[in-house]
Amino acid sequence: MSELASDATDYSVVEREPSDVIAENLKAAARLWSSATVFFFFAFLFAYFYLRSLNQEHLWKPKGVHPPQGLGAAIVACLVAAAVLLHWAAVDQRSDRRPAWRLKGALALALGLAAIVLQVVAWTRLGFGPTDGGFASVYVGWTGLSLLFLLATLYWLETTLAVSFRYRAHSMAAPVPVEAGHAAGDAYREGQDIEDPVAVNVAELAGLTEYWTVLAAVGVISWIVLYLL
Amino acid sequence: MRRPRLIGFNLLTAVVLGVGGYFLGWWLGRQVTGPSLDYFGDTGQNDVALFVAYFVGVVGFLVGLGFANYPVQRMLGRPPSLREKETEGVGRYFGLCTDHKVVGIQYLLGIGAFIFIGGLNAMLIRFELLRPTHLAWNGNNYLTLVGIHGTMMMGMMTSGILGPFANYLVPLMIGARRMAFPRIEALTFWLLMAAGTILMTSLAFGGFPTGWTGYAPLDEQANMGIDAYIAFFALVGLSMTLLGLNMLATVITMRAPGLTWGRLPLFVWGTVSTSVLMLLAAPVLISTLFMLALDRTAQTGFFNSQAGGSPYLYENLFWIFGHPEVYILALPGMGILLEILPVFARKPVWGYRLAVTGMLGIMLLSFLVWQHHLFVSGINANLRPFYMLSTELISLPTGFIFVCALGTLWQGRIRLTVPMLFALAWIFNFLVGGLSGVFLSDVPSDTTTHGSFFSMAHFHYTIMGGLIFAFFAGIYYWVPKMTGFQLNERLGKIHFWVMFVAFNSTFGPLLVIGFLGMPRRVVTYAGYLQGANDWVSVSAFVLGASMLVFLGNFVWSLAFARVPAGANPWGSKSIEFQLPSPVPVHDFDRIPTFGADPYPYGQDGAAAAAGQRPIVSPARPTR
Amino acid sequence: MWSRGSHGRRLAALTVIGTAIVLPLVVFVLGPNMPPGKATQVAAGQVVDNTVLLVVMTPFTVFILVYLGYALVCFRAPKGEAELRDGPPLRGHLRAQVAWLVTTTAAVLFLAIFGTAELLADNGSGSGGGPSPAWKPGGTVLPVQVIGQQWEFTYRYPTYGGVETAQLVLPQGVEIAFHVTSLDVVHSFWAYELGVKADANPGVDNIAYVKTKKLGTFQIRCAELCGLWHGYMFDTGKIVTRSQFAAWIGARRRQFAPVAKYLPPYSTTYAPDPPYRAG
Ligand code: HEA
Ligand code: HEA
Ligand code: CUA
Ligand SMILES: [Cu+2]
Repeated sequence: MSELASDATDYSVVEREPSDVIAENLKAAARLWSSATVFFFFAFLFAYFYLRSLNQEHLWKPKGVHPPQGLGAAIVACLVAAAVLLHWAAVDQRSDRRPAWRLKGALALALGLAAIVLQVVAWTRLGFGPTDGGFASVYVGWTGLSLLFLLATLYWLETTLAVSFRYRAHSMAAPVPVEAGHAAGDAYREGQDIEDPVAVNVAELAGLTEYWTVLAAVGVISWIVLYLL
Repeated sequence: MRRPRLIGFNLLTAVVLGVGGYFLGWWLGRQVTGPSLDYFGDTGQNDVALFVAYFVGVVGFLVGLGFANYPVQRMLGRPPSLREKETEGVGRYFGLCTDHKVVGIQYLLGIGAFIFIGGLNAMLIRFELLRPTHLAWNGNNYLTLVGIHGTMMMGMMTSGILGPFANYLVPLMIGARRMAFPRIEALTFWLLMAAGTILMTSLAFGGFPTGWTGYAPLDEQANMGIDAYIAFFALVGLSMTLLGLNMLATVITMRAPGLTWGRLPLFVWGTVSTSVLMLLAAPVLISTLFMLALDRTAQTGFFNSQAGGSPYLYENLFWIFGHPEVYILALPGMGILLEILPVFARKPVWGYRLAVTGMLGIMLLSFLVWQHHLFVSGINANLRPFYMLSTELISLPTGFIFVCALGTLWQGRIRLTVPMLFALAWIFNFLVGGLSGVFLSDVPSDTTTHGSFFSMAHFHYTIMGGLIFAFFAGIYYWVPKMTGFQLNERLGKIHFWVMFVAFNSTFGPLLVIGFLGMPRRVVTYAGYLQGANDWVSVSAFVLGASMLVFLGNFVWSLAFARVPAGANPWGSKSIEFQLPSPVPVHDFDRIPTFGADPYPYGQDGAAAAAGQRPIVSPARPTR
Repeated sequence: MWSRGSHGRRLAALTVIGTAIVLPLVVFVLGPNMPPGKATQVAAGQVVDNTVLLVVMTPFTVFILVYLGYALVCFRAPKGEAELRDGPPLRGHLRAQVAWLVTTTAAVLFLAIFGTAELLADNGSGSGGGPSPAWKPGGTVLPVQVIGQQWEFTYRYPTYGGVETAQLVLPQGVEIAFHVTSLDVVHSFWAYELGVKADANPGVDNIAYVKTKKLGTFQIRCAELCGLWHGYMFDTGKIVTRSQFAAWIGARRRQFAPVAKYLPPYSTTYAPDPPYRAG
């Protein structure tokens, strides 16, 4: 028996996790996942400039391969608009105007979905196929990966909205009542293992907003590289 | 304690849903591509269907384990939760459990199983090389053996030390009760197991001829077996990225009071520097494989020089990931080395800051050197002096690790226990590995040794001689803590000495064979090299046999002998040895506050009471 | 039992003695016999390079091995020690760390500068330097194209009407420019004794220079995995006298003449019909 821990499992000592620790976790994770995301797209940025410089057999961008400028601009506009909305929403949430934040959050979600739909429409009306040279390949691959990342981020936004909506009746001050069930995790333990899940919602939105800003920045760079250059 | 139910989210359901998902995916893929790509008709080669099959199979596997429950609950607005199935008895080892100690042990056995397969492959490779002409395997089978050996080993050993030991020990070493994201931690393990299984299915599709590097255009010319390679490394990449993210988030946000960055144990520093590399390098690999999958399915032209792309792109992107990958293999070994030497030399780490600078130096430089794998490829040859310089500069931070290790031995009171033997062997092996690397970094010298058995022997010295020796040092040092039972000392020493001698007798001559002009990945070679190759093959079989000695010891000690190890079998002053063995589920009764120095050896000079660290009772009871 | 100072002095002495023993062995015995031999100027350059690498590494290797041996002898806990006794709480020693940093930095910088000098001179030209290598030979150059395809190297001599042969024969004492390319996957043309290695990439003209010196044969290997019969892609090349070469190439041209019009004209890269053509 050492003075740090008893031999037998004494699981009761595992208190409800303070919300500020979870908040720290989420903020750190948002920053770390942002840097990983940047490296995901760095590979395509490298591919773009490398294949363009090689221009093997002059097949980088054969004649008639032009990205749909209008749709491209619309997509990146949706992304940036959603980012701005989320920043706004975060301000609302911090000052306890939660219905306002939920509205802006839902709007941002809609804009995100719009971006996805617009991208799929862009693919159907591209005017060139994946086999039409280096640029076509990079365009298809890059936008494909962006779509996957956007989908994952929209899932994250949806969960933040859903928690805020479910606990809309609770004021930020009062801790959430004990609620057993799947979300409570360990089936053998009663009650919530997080001190105040609603407070964690603030950190979630803060992390998400920061991440979405990075994703929007990557979107702007993609737009410049794929459409303007 | 509830009886683990048969129906429900467990390994059995996962396997059923996984295999079912695979066939469902295959059917779906055929429907999608059936009419348009039917010209595959006769060969039955349908990459799209196979990728969809793998994807749906993995999703089914994860859903069966219960990974989908939490996201679905979250989408319904339920608040987050951290712990799942942590106190369910032995059943928790066979399913999704969020206890970092369970995941650590799952990793050890899971990775052990797969690198055992990798090791068997190696034995079959050496068997074939007994004769310069055809012996047992034709060209394709031999290349598949080499490909699966290399891919499996690299994919698994990437999280070979961080998986088992960092997951188990980092929370303990920083005074926390969990990882930042317990479910993601479990996910990284199960992703890796799915990946290993998928790689073995490559045998059903005729294997793949590209080796672990998978260069284009051969990877686009290859048959469907290459899709298993792509799916394997994509899943390994995802598992790496998430493991890195989780480790960094844990160490950044969950250190106990008093534990500043300057007081972290060096094993944690090794984990942190490796995690940064994993977080940033693995995404490049995943994107590259995404491009390769598109090339094979949607006929894009990333790596096809006749369609606007270039094989050079694959080579560059692969090695931008490739070199950080090999330091992802090396750094955890250095972390274990500098954690074990103080214990068995009874001295604090010599030059703590220098060692940390060394690890961070290796981490930073590892992104600037990748074209030393491409010296003869003809890719921007005028940059070779830069890559030669940046590659040779890595010898400086690595040199710091060496001098800190040697300094720790200075005037120490060395006890040659089994972990110490493996740690000391690491120094010798990694020296030979590193110096052979410096040979390779010199362009004129690399002209002869590139693509030869010399470069193969180089990386076996650094990986087998470095990483695997550190891996076994970690096993003998920490398994008593993880399981509560001692590993037999005598069998351990037999394993060490046979392994050390056989390892050098295997890969030492391979350095010479490579210099004499034997290329890599050849099923037939020049007759005059047979004598040396036979010596190497026999030594390799002895090396394989030493692994069986280890397995015998592992199983016998833990399943039959079960000699209790006690809380602190080595008299270590590291915090995990102040806890009972095995460590209880809740880790700490109270979160400790850390004293000044992680290695307080020689503090009281005379009698060193085994293991009492100056721990002050915690300031904040709740945390 | 021994004071700190004497450990240090003893280790320094052992290192110096060890180095003094090993260095001559390296310079006079091991070095000259390092691969790839002296068949060409480039190969001889590599032998010098390998020797210099060995020389620079010797003191560090001797120091580390001597230190390990010394520690295992002198810094041991006595057998069957009743109670674990700690060593002295030494956490670092600035002078020793600075000394190590300075010596290793000096060694690394020397190696980098030396390697670069070798590369910019003609010692490194045996490795494929891409379409426009940094170092180009001065005088007359005999271009020889090496075409890698799945699973054979063939050779074309552009200055002799682009004749293509399956065997590589080179005249003695001539500066050769290998133009290495591929028709399908990546191969790597490795002429061991010549000290030449250059990747063969489809659509790329990878150039390596070498000046032939000794008569005799040399091994040709493929050094980049190219699929099923990669292991069988080996051959033997020959360096012959200029007159023998002239006779040989003349015979080949006569044999090649009727077939010449069917082969694609000589060009630095060939674009075989790809699985699909873009654009
Ligand atoms: C754990 C894995 C690991 C590690 C740590 C290293 C470490 C190093 N490697 Fe290695 N390497 C691989 C794994 C690794 N490598 C693999 C897997 C491949 C081949 C992949 C493939 O093609 O399939 C490879 C291939 C490879 C190549 C390409 C060879 C070729 O294909 O042409 C080169 C070339 O520069 C190279 C160099 C180096 C160098 C300079 C180091 C340095 O980090 C070593 C530094 C260490 C020391 C130098 C010793 C200690 C230092 C001192 C004692 C100080 C004093 C020393 C001096 C002053 C020199 N490696
Ligand atoms: C982690 C990396 C790793 C490890 C450990 C090894 C281990 C070994 N490797 Fe290999 N090898 C590679 C990575 C590795 N290798 C790579 C990347 C390639 C290049 C592939 C390519 O060219 O594409 C390669 C290629 C390669 C070749 C060249 C093939 C060719 O080019 O034709 C050869 C030939 O001798 C070889 C031999 C061996 C041998 C004899 C061992 C022996 O050390 C094996 C000994 C057995 C084990 C290490 C198993 C130990 C595990 C257990 C006993 C289980 C433990 C259980 C628990 C912990 C619970 N390897
Ligand atoms: Cu051609 Cu290997
Ligand atoms: Cu490298």
